[in-house]
Amino acid sequence: MAMMAYDERRILEMLHEDEISRHRAFEAIVRNFSEQLYWQIRHMVLSHDDANDILQNTFIKAWTNLDSFMGYSRISTWLYRIAINETLTFLNKQKPTIPIETDEDGELSIADRLESDPYFDGDETERQLQAAIATLPDKQRLVFNMKYFNEMKYEEISEALGTSVGALKASFHIAVKKIEEYFNNSD
Amino acid sequence: MKKEKTYNLDERGSRRPFTVPEGYFENLTQNIMASLPEQESIYSTRTTVTTWMRIKPYLYAAAAFAGIFFCIKAAVGISSRNNASEVAKAEETTIYSDEYIDSFLETSMIDDYTLYYTLVNAN
Repeated sequence: MAMMAYDERRILEMLHEDEISRHRAFEAIVRNFSEQLYWQIRHMVLSHDDANDILQNTFIKAWTNLDSFMGYSRISTWLYRIAINETLTFLNKQKPTIPIETDEDGELSIADRLESDPYFDGDETERQLQAAIATLPDKQRLVFNMKYFNEMKYEEISEALGTSVGALKASFHIAVKKIEEYFNNSD
Repeated sequence: MKKEKTYNLDERGSRRPFTVPEGYFENLTQNIMASLPEQESIYSTRTTVTTWMRIKPYLYAAAAFAGIFFCIKAAVGISSRNNASEVAKAEETTIYSDEYIDSFLETSMIDDYTLYYTLVNAN
């Protein structure tokens, strides 16, 4: 999480000031967090269009619920929670329609969907890796993506998810083992 | 142990296999800000604060105080006009028990001030 030249204390003050300041503060928040939130969401939902929609909804929710955020936690924690909730809600709705591993009645598997996705430039192994990640429970997927692809520190993930560092390390370790097993079994 | 495995995540490195449309991140902040609802439109209607809007709360407060003042005046006026009959009734009340009077006072709309005022004027 690169947060250079972003003064959170000042932003929090501005959120409590007049509406022009609020707007400017929120714009600074969007500029600072949109890209990292996008990648977090994208790794969960895989498709760019879905990730873009969920990201927009995340900031709309944050903006319309600005009053309920009183600076009790860090802005990143607050945004990550909204983004994660939006993502999980989306995935729960989508789950019955996408087969995780294999084709069923013409429905494309995750690996096959990625193959036809213009915004996926991975090779066969990377497609399989995404399919393997998709078999993990939601929480393990979140932790795995945050650590492996977004290269967040455990302390940062801990703040975003409200889970202890110890539990996160265990979660990540289990996720890695499962993914490696997935590949070893398919070989 | 690890050597037995054919696949190891650490050895692979974590390249991100996803891409985004051209210029997506450059315009992202702008696009998100443009999609935000309401708060902004509420603000734009609030920007034109007229003199009337600024005076309005004070006028309402003044009207409320004037209202309260006249109510008190009216209440005081009515109770002082009824003084004569109240005094006459004071003797009659002795035939009623304290419990009756207490329950009457509790259920009637007489406040403490009016009650004390009446009692003081009755003597």
